[in-house]
Amino acid sequence: MGDERLDLPQGTLDLLMLKALGAGPLHGWAIAERLHQVSKATLQVAQGSLYPALHRLERQGWIEAEWGASDNNRRAKYYRLTRAGRRRLADETASWDRLAKAVRLVLALD
Amino acid sequence: MLDRLWSELRTRWRGLAHADRAEDDLDDEIAFHLERAQRALEARGVPADEARRQAHVAFGGLERTKADARDARGVRPLLDLGTDVRDAVRGLRGHRAFTLGVAGTLALGIGANAAMFGIVDRLMFRDPSGLRSPDRVHRVYVEWTENGERRRERNLAFPRFQDLARDAQTVDAVGAFQIRNSAVGQGDATHQALIGVVSASYVDFFDAPPVLGRWFDTADDRSPVGAPVAVLGHAYWLTRYGGRADVLGQSLQVDRMAATIIGVAPPGFAGISDRGGPAVFVPMSAFAYALRGPGYDGSYNWTWLELAVRLRPGVTTEEATTDLGAALIRSWRTESDVHKRATNVAQATPAIVLAPVPLGRGPDARLDARVSLWIGGVALLVLLIACANVANLLLSRTVSRQRELAMRLALGIGRARLMRQLVLEGLGLGLLGALGGVVLARVAGGPLRSVVLPEAEQVAVMTDPRTLVYAFALAVVAGVLTAIVPAWTVGRLDLAAALKSGGRGATHRRSRLQGGLVVVQAALSVVLLVGAALFVRSLQRAETHRLGYDAEALVFAEVNLRGTRLDDAGSAALADRLLATARQSPGVAAAATVASVPFWSNEARQVTVAGHADVSDLGRFTLQAGSADFFATTGTRVLRGRPFDGRDRAGTVPVIVVSDAMARVLWPGQDALVQCVRIGGAETPCRTVIGVAEDASMDAFNAPRRYTYYLPVDQFPDGRSLQLYARVAGAPETAAPDLRARLQPLLPGAAYVTVRPLATTIAPQFQGWRFGATMFVAFGALALLVAVLGLHSLIAYEAARREQEFGVRLALGATRERLLAMVVGRGATLALAGIAVGLSLALAASRWFEGLLFEQSARDPIVLGAVALTLAGLATVASAIPALKASRLDPTITLRAD
Repeated sequence: MGDERLDLPQGTLDLLMLKALGAGPLHGWAIAERLHQVSKATLQVAQGSLYPALHRLERQGWIEAEWGASDNNRRAKYYRLTRAGRRRLADETASWDRLAKAVRLVLALD
Repeated sequence: MLDRLWSELRTRWRGLAHADRAEDDLDDEIAFHLERAQRALEARGVPADEARRQAHVAFGGLERTKADARDARGVRPLLDLGTDVRDAVRGLRGHRAFTLGVAGTLALGIGANAAMFGIVDRLMFRDPSGLRSPDRVHRVYVEWTENGERRRERNLAFPRFQDLARDAQTVDAVGAFQIRNSAVGQGDATHQALIGVVSASYVDFFDAPPVLGRWFDTADDRSPVGAPVAVLGHAYWLTRYGGRADVLGQSLQVDRMAATIIGVAPPGFAGISDRGGPAVFVPMSAFAYALRGPGYDGSYNWTWLELAVRLRPGVTTEEATTDLGAALIRSWRTESDVHKRATNVAQATPAIVLAPVPLGRGPDARLDARVSLWIGGVALLVLLIACANVANLLLSRTVSRQRELAMRLALGIGRARLMRQLVLEGLGLGLLGALGGVVLARVAGGPLRSVVLPEAEQVAVMTDPRTLVYAFALAVVAGVLTAIVPAWTVGRLDLAAALKSGGRGATHRRSRLQGGLVVVQAALSVVLLVGAALFVRSLQRAETHRLGYDAEALVFAEVNLRGTRLDDAGSAALADRLLATARQSPGVAAAATVASVPFWSNEARQVTVAGHADVSDLGRFTLQAGSADFFATTGTRVLRGRPFDGRDRAGTVPVIVVSDAMARVLWPGQDALVQCVRIGGAETPCRTVIGVAEDASMDAFNAPRRYTYYLPVDQFPDGRSLQLYARVAGAPETAAPDLRARLQPLLPGAAYVTVRPLATTIAPQFQGWRFGATMFVAFGALALLVAVLGLHSLIAYEAARREQEFGVRLALGATRERLLAMVVGRGATLALAGIAVGLSLALAASRWFEGLLFEQSARDPIVLGAVALTLAGLATVASAIPALKASRLDPTITLRAD
């Protein structure tokens, strides 16, 4: 199992978090869970690095945060995409696709 | 893009403003995360303790995450700044003696600058209080060519003002003003005061609402008669009238004008004045009418008014100069018609010069304004020297703190942050220095200002925002400057070496740097000392310069009749009575009536001499006329022939005594005695030269083309005046009031007599040099002291660090003399380098400096040599002290240490 877990390439954590928030507001723990589940436990995200990344995205205006009650009525901080964040997500997704395609093309050369 | 920026700013601001809350939020957020992770694990059957442990492991380093999150919020540098400021303050408080020493050094430098700034600002840069649109207001000067010489004048005649005000198209307003000393008050309360004689249009230049009553307006200032009204200066109102509101409507005698008080000017209002705030403002027309009577408004000969103009918005200075120039030429032509005189405008080419309002920046800047600017620069040099010294001290301390700094670097503090901490310490020192400096400027600045701004009111330092801003800006610059060098060395600190050697590494490079700073200090002090010596010698030469009369033994009395009208006979009788009384006064050795008082009032008349078509081409011939004892009174030496005396009366042969230079210019190679001089045209009587007197300075100090001639007043009734000289035995300052008390009762009506030591009219001529000498000496001594101390501490410090090496050398057989020579040699080398650089700088600056000196070359080898020797001597002594200590080392003790 350990062999199959990947460290994230530089810069992709932002994209993944934006994507995770694309479906609706989530708190930090839920984002970690979402990434873990959706990637079928392949992607290794240090949970601690999530929060600095969230604060950075917030500072850049792509997401905004709000305190709310969680499902079991515990106070939790929810993050939500802003309009700029949505645009950013679309741009990042498109450029990731192009990059992935290009890399695949190069790898297919042999 | 904009919304990005906005959210960035918002997060940062929130992060900063609510830093504590943000921290709490983060704690909550992480706690929530850990709790959920733990519960998720428990749900899978992991026991509670183990689940908590695993949740923490999965999360990673808590503190690290928090720090990263803070970074991500972008508030970390600012939060750290707070910590660093606290650290810096703690550091400064921890080393109290060091901090006080450094701040004291900087305080000297900043104080010198703050004090000088107040003066230079007032002489040259500050706009008059309340002046509207100061950037459009200019002072007017007129230039023209006369006798082949370009002349310039800012005192203009009343009709000239009217002509320019009427004809100029490019200006909004033309204001006329004269600031003069006049007798104010009546009877025993009469005193001399500065008064402002101003046009109604001048009042409109200012936004100066009166605190009481009103200003005069165009109706009050309608020429020729005007309305005899007066507006009191605020300070005068407070001191003379106790700030009472019932002054309005009271009468006040201002010179010859009996005025009614109609208002009080706002505090600080002085109009355009380089001599401080006037006590009273009066309308120009009424004042002139009272002084001169009808007809004053048609005379182009009475030049007494200064002019200020306010340009229309959008008009350039060049356009206004051209436009006013055209108006001036028209006015010049009108003048020719009025006075029935043929003037050649094409030859005179009169022109207007527009200059800044402060006289110090105009073409007629006095010596002291120019000297002030130099001394302002000198003050900056003093600060620079202080900074170099402080930088050296900080550098030494950085080196002894090297292990501490290296340790902090090793523990992970960023170099940038460490450097920032050092700069913050520097800033803290600079600000402390500024505080001390402002206090110093306040305490020491008063006497200083009284040397250069004698007539100005006391100038605030602590409450003057411009001075404070300047002082604190300097503090910031000084703080950064002093910290840059140590910070730079920290930036390049070799960690491993520093930790290993316990601070002995990098000594060489640092030494070179510190040596360089000492050289800079020595060089700058050489420049200042050279300046000081040159000014002192100038002042000495000026003061011992023979004026052509014994100024220090003379007092002069001047009568102001203030409206009392006397016919010629009455005037002559009064003059005789005054003279007789003065002669009999105790302490008076001799007395004489005079026509001219040097640097006060003197006139040049047309002189006709055979063989010269027009002697006025040769220069200015000043008339002096005196009673029989004139030469005995003034002490003017007669070189050849004889002085006039009691024998030369109204009926006898008309005689004249001429100055030596006048004799030589009029009759080169001939004997002046028995030549014939006519005062006025060829039709006037021939006056025979009976004596040649030494040259005298009458209206300018040691100026070329200035000549004086002396007539017995009995033979020249025109020269009769109500002025007299008395030669006193004691101090003129104490003799003057005594004499005044004896003369005043002789005067009719409101007439008033002033008696002053003659030296008071001449002292302002020395002021520039006196000021320069005082300030250069003070600053030069300060600089020398700081530089020598800097050299001493560097040499002592170096010697102390090399004790072990010296011990080894001694043990290996080096003589103590050799060690002594080594250490002193190091000091001497630095000093010599500084002297060489300093002398080159002084020589380079000499070209600009020469104009400020009096009969003194700026490249005087004696001065340069003496300064070099002084510094070299002091440097040797300063390095001999640590050298002696080093040479007395006991190797057995030194080598065992450490």
